[in-house]
Amino acid sequence: MPENTPYMVAAYVITAVILVGYAVLLYRRTLKP
Amino acid sequence: MRLLKTGRWITIVGLALLAAVYVRALAFTPLERFQGAAQKIYYIHVPSAVCAMLAMGLVGVAGILYLLLKDPRFDRFGEASAEVGVAFSLVMLTTGPLWAKPIWGTWWTWDARLTLTLFLFLLFLGYLLLRGAVTEPGLRARYSAVLGICGLVLLPFIHLSVYLFRTLHPEPIVLKPSAPSLPSEMLVTLLFSFLVFTILYVGLVTQRYAVSLLREQADPHA
Repeated sequence: MPENTPYMVAAYVITAVILVGYAVLLYRRTLKP
Repeated sequence: MRLLKTGRWITIVGLALLAAVYVRALAFTPLERFQGAAQKIYYIHVPSAVCAMLAMGLVGVAGILYLLLKDPRFDRFGEASAEVGVAFSLVMLTTGPLWAKPIWGTWWTWDARLTLTLFLFLLFLGYLLLRGAVTEPGLRARYSAVLGICGLVLLPFIHLSVYLFRTLHPEPIVLKPSAPSLPSEMLVTLLFSFLVFTILYVGLVTQRYAVSLLREQADPHA
């Protein structure tokens, strides 16, 4: 495993969590505005 | 509502393309010789930062247009863009320290670029808090427009901070007057990521705008 890989993995996971999480949050708000 | 459906579809396409960005960046883009895997954070950090600045820029432009034309659509758009800007700012402010730690040896430093981007995030939060605190719609729109314009004024300082002040943050590699100083494989990945983040911005703002519209239809005095 190349050095610094955990930092990269953490960054990619956090980005996905934030963007997918916000999209889901918006979807739920559109059901009950 | 048609606008809501359009926003949902654009967001779904954007999220699917985000997965493609991950595959392209992680499997088909070469490792940088000195920074190793940490450099790949670049492909999400820079587009998220640009989208956060785009979001604030458009909040400011919408603010100017609202003050000139008094059209509530601009106020609604400003609110939507600010909220989506919070999400992109969060990505920028979390991926930045994760890149800085292995390369600079520190998670954070209070230099001009980093501090100004933190201001940008706080300005987004302040904008949304202001909207929550003022109940009278006309007053809320006017105050928000002024704060949005203040955010717009901040943007050139953020972009130029790496030239104006001594900072650990590197100067732009692509968004500069001369040609991008990046190997073509990395540049293609970055441009693809720019495109996907922009699609996500459009999809999320469209959905958020539709939420505001639905709320106003449910309670016209809110």
